[in-house]
Amino acid sequence: MMDVGRHPNVELMSFSEVEAVSGFVGNFHVTIRKKARYVNPDECTSCGECAKVCPVAKPDEYQQGFSSRKAIYLPFPQAVPSSYILNMDDCLGNNPIACGKCAEVCEKKCIDYDDQDKLVNVEVGVVIVATGMDVYDPTEYDEYGYTRFDNVITSMEFERLICAGGPTEGHFMRPTDRKQPRSIGFIQCVGSRSQDGRGNPYCSNICCMNTVKDTLLLCDHYPGVDIKVFYMDIRAFGKGFEDLYMRSKAEGVKYVRGIPGDVIEDSQTKNLTLTVENTTTGKLEKHELEMLVLSQGVIPRQDGDKIRQLMTLSTTSDGFIMESHPKLKPVDAPTKGVYIAGCVESPKDVKDSVTQASAAAARASILLNAGKTKIEAITSQINGDLCNYCGVCAKVCPYNAIIAPDKKIRKLPVIISAACAGCGACAAECTQDAIFMNHFRDEQILAQIDAILAVNPHKQLVTFACNWCSYAGGDMAGTSRLQYPTTCRLIRTMCSGRVDEKFILRAFRLGAPMVLVSGCHFADCHYISAVQWTQKRMDRLWSKLDKLGIRADRLQLEWISAAEGQKFAKVMRDMEAKLATVTMAEIEHTMKVLAEDEENEKAKKAGKSGAETVEVSS
Amino acid sequence: MAAREVLFKCLNCGHEYPGMFDMDHITERVCPKCRSNSVRRLPMPKTAKK
Repeated sequence: MMDVGRHPNVELMSFSEVEAVSGFVGNFHVTIRKKARYVNPDECTSCGECAKVCPVAKPDEYQQGFSSRKAIYLPFPQAVPSSYILNMDDCLGNNPIACGKCAEVCEKKCIDYDDQDKLVNVEVGVVIVATGMDVYDPTEYDEYGYTRFDNVITSMEFERLICAGGPTEGHFMRPTDRKQPRSIGFIQCVGSRSQDGRGNPYCSNICCMNTVKDTLLLCDHYPGVDIKVFYMDIRAFGKGFEDLYMRSKAEGVKYVRGIPGDVIEDSQTKNLTLTVENTTTGKLEKHELEMLVLSQGVIPRQDGDKIRQLMTLSTTSDGFIMESHPKLKPVDAPTKGVYIAGCVESPKDVKDSVTQASAAAARASILLNAGKTKIEAITSQINGDLCNYCGVCAKVCPYNAIIAPDKKIRKLPVIISAACAGCGACAAECTQDAIFMNHFRDEQILAQIDAILAVNPHKQLVTFACNWCSYAGGDMAGTSRLQYPTTCRLIRTMCSGRVDEKFILRAFRLGAPMVLVSGCHFADCHYISAVQWTQKRMDRLWSKLDKLGIRADRLQLEWISAAEGQKFAKVMRDMEAKLATVTMAEIEHTMKVLAEDEENEKAKKAGKSGAETVEVSS
Repeated sequence: MAAREVLFKCLNCGHEYPGMFDMDHITERVCPKCRSNSVRRLPMPKTAKK
């Protein structure tokens, strides 16, 4: 961190928050709120005289509440910049009657009670999001007694207690009697790999090796201490990790395969008794320990929503930021010019975080050094003659790539090509057909539908599949040699969000018995939230089919990922079975009704444009 | 807009079930019976005018 602080090309803005982000790759405008520190960091020498006279004592967040800090304090040792900070919420104020003692003793006169937040605007070419993670709060696991027993602590609290810079100066002691514990237990997977509704279903990645490291630290500092680790699996993958695990075992640490179901405290000794089923022996065991450490998992940052919205990022089902492609673009965000690094993407250790951060920096520098970027050929464009300034396109764009129109001054919407990712949701939602998507124009897709249904339309399964997931799922089914009906006819779009209402209605009007729209699962959507518009559109279409007297279940929707070849094949078989239930009379009725509806729509439009002409000429 | 309870119908198996719906936060729908995603939000019955 010192190196970062001193680097001539790095401007470090600590104690700051991103307020707003606009623009696009190469041209981001970022507004940053530099919060008031009330201490001039350029003048402060960290002498600490101010903290000595401060009468306020508050729990020290950095020390996990094991010690106290003053209202004016150094956030943590080795903080960069090495400057004190005044928490105004805790401070008694600068009124000499109330306090003002810190300002009195500060020789450099660097305390300013009137300091205010400052908004700073910066222009940047790329953004790397590395906002980290939070740790899981184990309070809801009441059976471990974290809130009831003082000698039950979390792994973060353990870190502070064993650290030389911690509240006990590295002398590990249990909170109740401040004596060194002779037996310590660790419970793994607290809040991780949980399927019971509490905690999270994913593995937090770092806890196993953190515990192995902690046991080795204890063995090193306190030889002879009895250490037990209660686990379901030890996941020691990675360079040198298995060796470390073996070393821990060789030091005498006992690994018990089983997660305790209950922890009881002895009211006299404050010792803890754990009841656990040892799944290796199949026996129920009781273990008495003097101290218990809960190896808590990690969770996405709880205040991460704001940055996610500002940067138009999407998250996976577990709440971590989704990368553009898990294999080919693991540090790129779906928004061009935005990269991700560290635990904001998924739980990972220091080594992996540094690796990913280096990769993100390299990816960013490629773009910055090039000074220009290639724009995807598949972007949307406006046809100004047809636009009615409704602004739906700007509303649906997941990338904020469309500047909204203004009807009053007849200002057309503007598509920022550099920011457009080409999902096509705007083109599908535009009721006036005023937006077209290069290479996936309406005419091109309609021509495919016409060709599919030119011969024996009543036998064809018209399927719209998104490029990234469902189409790849079909590929997976094929390469896996899975059998599915040969009547399946795929039409590829970049996103299911591109599937316009009129494509589906055209298919039905030409005699298709069944239509399937398929796309990525919500958590996998390659266009942030474009898939949500597919869902909304389908709801509208189902209602419309109902009104027209067409069975809504003839239009099906499925989310199929690239790995779900099995699901793809099953869906196709189900569709084939449903196809058999659609009679020729039903198809003919549908064709007739939709032809009439199309005529009515045309007449309505003609009527409207006629009315407008009259209005203009009068 | 706050989430409200609505009725969903699976267009694959016909199963109907209640669930929460929020227009601002559309979530992935899965039929609890057949795991299909062809789940339709049924229109709310119109309330009688006073």
